[in-house]
Amino acid sequence: MTDLAFLDATAQAELVRTGEVSPVELVDGAITRIEKLNPQLNAVIHERFERARSDAAGPLPDGPFRGVPILFKDLMCQVEGDPYHEGMRFLKNAGHRADHTDNLAQRYFDAGFVYLGRTNTPELGLVPTAEPDAYGATHNPWKSGITSGGSSGGSAAAVAGGMVPVAHANDGGGSIRIPASCCGLVGLKPTRGRSSLGPELNEISSFLIAEGCVSRSVRDTAAVLDAISGPFPGDPTQAPRPDRPYRDEVGADPGRLRIGLLTHNPIGSSEIDPECVTAAKSTAELLESLGHQVEDSYPGGFDNEDLVAEFGAVWAVECAYALDEWGRKVGRAVTADDVELLTWGLAEAGRSVTAPQLLAALASSQQASREAARWWADGFDLLLTPTLGEPPVEHGAFASTPENPIGGFIRSAAFVPFTAQFNISGQPAISLPLHWTPEGLPVGIQLVAGFGREDVLIRVAAQLETARPWADRIPPTHA
Amino acid sequence: MDDLASLDATAQADLVRRGEATPLELVEAAARRIEKLQPELNALTTNRIDRALDDARTDELADGPFRGVPCLIKDLACTMAGEPAHEGTRVLKESGNTADVDSNLTRRFKAAGLVVLGRTNTPEFGIMPTTEPASYGPTHNPWDLTRTPGGSSGGSGAAVAAGLVPFAHASDGGGSIRIPAACCGLVGLKTSRGRVSVGPAGGELRYPLGVQFALTRTVRDAAALLDAVAGPEPGDPVTPATPARAYRELMDVAPPPLRIGVMTTMPGTTDPIHPDCVAATEATAATLESLGHHVEVAHPAAFDEDERISAFIPLWSTKAAYDVRMVSDMVERSLGANDFEPLTWALAVRGRDVSAVDYELALAAMQVWCRRFMQWWTDGWDLLLTSTLGEPPVELGVLSTPDEPFRGFARGGTFTPYSPAMNQTGQPAISLPLAQNDEGLPIGVHLAADAGRDDLLLQIAAQLEIAQPWSDRRPPVHA
Repeated sequence: MTDLAFLDATAQAELVRTGEVSPVELVDGAITRIEKLNPQLNAVIHERFERARSDAAGPLPDGPFRGVPILFKDLMCQVEGDPYHEGMRFLKNAGHRADHTDNLAQRYFDAGFVYLGRTNTPELGLVPTAEPDAYGATHNPWKSGITSGGSSGGSAAAVAGGMVPVAHANDGGGSIRIPASCCGLVGLKPTRGRSSLGPELNEISSFLIAEGCVSRSVRDTAAVLDAISGPFPGDPTQAPRPDRPYRDEVGADPGRLRIGLLTHNPIGSSEIDPECVTAAKSTAELLESLGHQVEDSYPGGFDNEDLVAEFGAVWAVECAYALDEWGRKVGRAVTADDVELLTWGLAEAGRSVTAPQLLAALASSQQASREAARWWADGFDLLLTPTLGEPPVEHGAFASTPENPIGGFIRSAAFVPFTAQFNISGQPAISLPLHWTPEGLPVGIQLVAGFGREDVLIRVAAQLETARPWADRIPPTHA
Repeated sequence: MDDLASLDATAQADLVRRGEATPLELVEAAARRIEKLQPELNALTTNRIDRALDDARTDELADGPFRGVPCLIKDLACTMAGEPAHEGTRVLKESGNTADVDSNLTRRFKAAGLVVLGRTNTPEFGIMPTTEPASYGPTHNPWDLTRTPGGSSGGSGAAVAAGLVPFAHASDGGGSIRIPAACCGLVGLKTSRGRVSVGPAGGELRYPLGVQFALTRTVRDAAALLDAVAGPEPGDPVTPATPARAYRELMDVAPPPLRIGVMTTMPGTTDPIHPDCVAATEATAATLESLGHHVEVAHPAAFDEDERISAFIPLWSTKAAYDVRMVSDMVERSLGANDFEPLTWALAVRGRDVSAVDYELALAAMQVWCRRFMQWWTDGWDLLLTSTLGEPPVELGVLSTPDEPFRGFARGGTFTPYSPAMNQTGQPAISLPLAQNDEGLPIGVHLAADAGRDDLLLQIAAQLEIAQPWSDRRPPVHA
């Protein structure tokens, strides 16, 4: 099956379009690969193979990805009637099922994708690794026992291992980019409001979150973005519309870009691993060789430790809110025994935050975003950083203890010093698999563009993909 | 009578462009009008006439579309460096607070060539639909000095209606552009969320209800001014799609036949709308039909649900608590009940105890309601037609009741039954001065369009302005 396994979604869709392969064959192939690999990877936690087969056999929407198999992360992107647990034992034990289909899932269906199941996520997506008590750890196809990143770690392991060409992912602090970096994938976090978070969530209260996918090719990421973007009625905000489809940016000349390079932790709270620094610096050299202007420079605004603390409060509030909501929906209050240590610790912290304190944190983050945006407005096109502060770590690295319930969260700060800033600002950012450690673990680099400028990211990402291709890099554990 | 007083900003700018008047002459004339009428109206809180005359004399006056045209800025949020920023509060008035920076919108006003002559009156923190702050006293309606000019942009409303300036800055978090437009016989466009930057101090994530724009006498001024000030500034957290062409170019283009729902009932109750307001709405419906539009009795069912305003108390009280805290920080002392008006303090006390989780809950419930409400436009309706207010402009002292603060606040609900909904959704809406009652008081008519369709509102407004012109109407108190 290897020949189909490592074709990207665009190529698989093309096979369907030309009649060389049927949707049922693509879906059967993906099911075979999942059945083979999942015992090793633990990427897929809910399977719906029989229904996927019947979906593939039935009339499929004539979208750009007609017949191509996909997996959805089990956090948002709900599908009515399917299990939906957000990595929580509480919901798993309650046998919870989604009571509606999210706008985003509808967009994936309209594009013609066939949905095979749901992928692993940490509880409420809180940590950058997919090791929930509820479903156990997802393994990195590049090395067992190593994190696949998080929170979209199940989706990333599935795509890297070749189960499916693309999988749904979302990013509220780095959760698309982090697993993309850990698994050697393309991970684009779009601009705030690019895709609807509805009907339940919205871009004002969940302003950190952007929906997207992890993929193996830039063209897949671009075409998926075309398929899932655009507003639904009642969305409180929408990202500026592009002039043309994103897939048309693949191969388009990016021009000569002015790029700032940042390879140290901007608040100075941790060292950056030399492999990550090397990844960014070698990408800088590659970009220069492609004619771009790279200089040591980065935006201000976020190099402020107080902001990090203040912003932790926003996360804590979201966590407390989520537990309250689930308690209401399931009909029984969530207790400390129902959730992981970190989840309860954060929720406790969140419950003590007042609304005016929340507004103050939002005001500070707004101020930081405005200051950072000035750097782009003053002439820089892109910021280049390592995606992570370290290569993928071992399982258990971000575990909390009863003595320090939010210890795992604090430990993860050194792993993810570069990503959450752009959830606050709402800017688009992409992780690209441009470097591997001597041990053979992927190390991603991150490029960040101005608000609404996914077009710039896709043009330069496609240029880098051509210059330093990664399509032939296959992990040891693969289909 | 000063001939310039009757000219709109577009006409005044044309005089300058053709060399028939100098900026200095326009500003001197406006200064004379202000000096003459301010004692009766109390529309301004502070003036900067001397500095405005200097601005008009200098070569540095920007060569924008409104070069040399005099205007005023409401003393709320839209700061001007070095000028008073009191937000209707006694505390900041007594401390002599001045702003450090020009707000983004002030910079755009200056870049358009406008000359700012002073700041206009507002209730404390803009909380009321009338303009009767303890700090600066009530602003009087030029149509009847015993009546309210509306609020919170009542100072701007009175100033423009009386001809002091052709337009003035205004802002709207629950109707505060549209209410004074209705009370004073003006055009009041509440722009789409994010259309005009509210930075650097403001941000739509912290306060999604509020927008900033202006009160004008003509539709073409609103269109041309929106062209001049719309568009994102670096770091704005939400930015709607930009229009395909300039708003002013739409003034000569009739809209296509539109499907318009008309509503003359009070949302959510069987309380009556005042017959003068019902008559204005019905007359406008007839005019719209005569213009070829399809009008029928219809409105979003969600408009009758309690959620249409359910978020206001938690959001406004939290904002009041936050504003009180900010003012305390500015004057560097702890502030109490004696420092603020009773309503402000009561709201702030309520708001400071709201938990962040409850605040998020209110915001989420509001968004779920917004989706139900906005579905109506997706279902095929273009515009919702109502009166702007539930009754003609009431007497001063009816809405502002310091002895029983919540009595007047609650009374505001029947005065402004329609306008707050569009602050929740972020959609644009406009109040047009299409009627007068038998007493000669202006009665505003309100049109709401789908998210981002400021263009459609300006088009239909231009069509109605021709069909049912109001430019000859002058209030008894006029320059």
